[in-house]
Amino acid sequence: MASVRKSGGDNLLVRYIILGSWAMVCLVPILWFLTIGFRPRTEIIVPEPIYWPTWSLDAWRLLVSDWPIALYLRNSVLAVAGSVLIDLVLAIPAAFALARYEFKGREDIGFYILSTRMMAPAIVAVPIFFLFKNIGLLDSVWALMLIYAAINLSLVTWIIRSYMLDIPKELEDAARTDGADDLTILWEIMIPACLPGIITAAVIAAIFAINEFLFTLLIASTSKAYTMSVALANFTGGSDGVIYNAIALVSFIAFAPILILVILIQKHLSRGLTMGAVKG
Amino acid sequence: MASILLKNVVKSFGTFVGVQDMNLDVVDEEFLVLLGPSGCGKTTTMRMIAGLEHPTEGEIRIGDALMNDIDARDRDVAMVFQGYALYPNMSIYENIRFPLRMRQVPKAKHDDLIRRAAEMVELGPFLDRKPGALSGGQRQRAALARAIVRQPQVFLMDEPLSNLDAKLRASMRVQIKHMQRELKVTTVYVTHDQIEAMTLADRIVIMNKGVIQQIGTPDDIYSNPANTFVAGFIGSPPMNLIAGTAQSGTFSSAGVRVPCPANLSGNITLGIRPEDCQIGGDNLQGQVYGVEPTGDITYLTVRTANKNIEIKAGREFRAPIDSAISVGFDTSRLYFFGEDGSRVGVN
Ligand SMILES: Nc1ncnc2c1ncn2[C@@H]1O[C@H](COP(=O)(O)OP(=O)(O)O)[C@@H](O)[C@H]1O
Ligand SMILES: [Mg+2]
Repeated sequence: MASVRKSGGDNLLVRYIILGSWAMVCLVPILWFLTIGFRPRTEIIVPEPIYWPTWSLDAWRLLVSDWPIALYLRNSVLAVAGSVLIDLVLAIPAAFALARYEFKGREDIGFYILSTRMMAPAIVAVPIFFLFKNIGLLDSVWALMLIYAAINLSLVTWIIRSYMLDIPKELEDAARTDGADDLTILWEIMIPACLPGIITAAVIAAIFAINEFLFTLLIASTSKAYTMSVALANFTGGSDGVIYNAIALVSFIAFAPILILVILIQKHLSRGLTMGAVKG
Repeated sequence: MASILLKNVVKSFGTFVGVQDMNLDVVDEEFLVLLGPSGCGKTTTMRMIAGLEHPTEGEIRIGDALMNDIDARDRDVAMVFQGYALYPNMSIYENIRFPLRMRQVPKAKHDDLIRRAAEMVELGPFLDRKPGALSGGQRQRAALARAIVRQPQVFLMDEPLSNLDAKLRASMRVQIKHMQRELKVTTVYVTHDQIEAMTLADRIVIMNKGVIQQIGTPDDIYSNPANTFVAGFIGSPPMNLIAGTAQSGTFSSAGVRVPCPANLSGNITLGIRPEDCQIGGDNLQGQVYGVEPTGDITYLTVRTANKNIEIKAGREFRAPIDSAISVGFDTSRLYFFGEDGSRVGVN
């Protein structure tokens, strides 16, 4: 029995080997794909894989000269950041109301909000297209911003609500007896207390928004509104046939922000993703 | 500084009645303790005074003003919560400052007031810390400082010491009482710990199942319990309650015989405090069930046919288990309760 929980020693080594192998399995494709982005084109499609690459910035040069990547990146950042901001401004007060105020049908409204997320997006694709056509926002980053915000609003509300439910009511009662009104309580007590939840919700929303494809394809028809996700899908490398090293590089540029965001919030992410299991 | 008045206050949660027809008059500058078992409605009563809960019926007044429709934030009441409820993102300094900011106390006065309040609870060196970096006792004192920093009309404290260890509890008890005398602020204090209640209170309100059982000074409650609930709740160990019958001036139960007022008859409960029993005598016959020396006193448990009786015996008392023992009662300190539990046979 005593040897089972032996601390350190071989046991720990075995664990590190297992975890390390698993990490390799997950990471090698990504690293491999990154090296492709930095190889000359001639080294990619060959009968025998070349494991040790000759480094080259060919793909990068091609991208910068032939492809408006800065514009796509700008579109992505603008639409995603704007949508997250809209979500937070709308979701925080809504979550506060759903978590704290007593009113008829509170639980039902809460669940209804979440359930809008469960709908297949294709169902509303056509109405959305005509809606934006009528208000003259086709092929516009602003339209994407609104759509991303709408897609994620329910999830963001739900995540923040679940964090707010975990904040002891006493805190709010204390603030109230200290003389605070509702807005002060929201701003000075609730928001700081559930900041990790708000950040988690924002990052999850950002990830979904960066990856959004269907509606972006529908709304964006020229590079004026193309985001990384749609541009990537349309990208083959131009008139010279499929240029894999450039594709790999673009993919990596699209993927990097998500990776960074996930690393930043990994501590909170699992909590945010299992928020259904948290009470309520 | 103000009196508090509760008049026919009822609080129901759906069909469940949390507080029943409560009448309470807290005098200006008084230290009043609400005492009762968990779930008896103490917190609910306190929250109604604070304005965090609205009474279903009845009137609540602070000073002379009717409070029923006044928001919690507009009542000049400071509350210490059981879980302390310190704002986790603010330093202790900012925590104590929060009520000053909310009540528009001039900024120039803040620092002085905060430092004075912190001084009073000996929290001076910890003002820059976040609540998470304090021990339980320090958090408790921070919560107290936040309550006293603006001189409110009323202090409300909901089991503020229940999360502390016994030693700290005793020293905080003295500190709270001292502070209240110094500040002269009317205080309502909730606890389920009778020692806290006895030591702190000017008057104690004993509650059970949402109903006030008795209101009185600690001495009064101890020596004149109004019913079996109060008798069995106060004292450690509490009063022995022995069910039996009374007939023509004698109360009897299995192994127990004592004189009682001649006007009592039928089913009666006898009450006798452990310290009013002595070894040797002819009021009770039984067997020794247990002997627990504690140093200054020995607790003796005597088994009779119906019930175990607790007795405080002298420090040197020892007896083998199951040996026969007879006990005498101080017959001037007998209590009798009728079938509904209320005290009877008092002149
Ligand atoms: N918001 C509420 N909804 C329903 N029942 C409640 C609510 N608040 C308190 N109660 C009930 O009222 C009773 C008294 O509660 P409380 O005042 O908290 O008791 P105490 O503080 O004496 O332990 C308890 O039985 C509790 O379950
Ligand atoms: Mg309570």
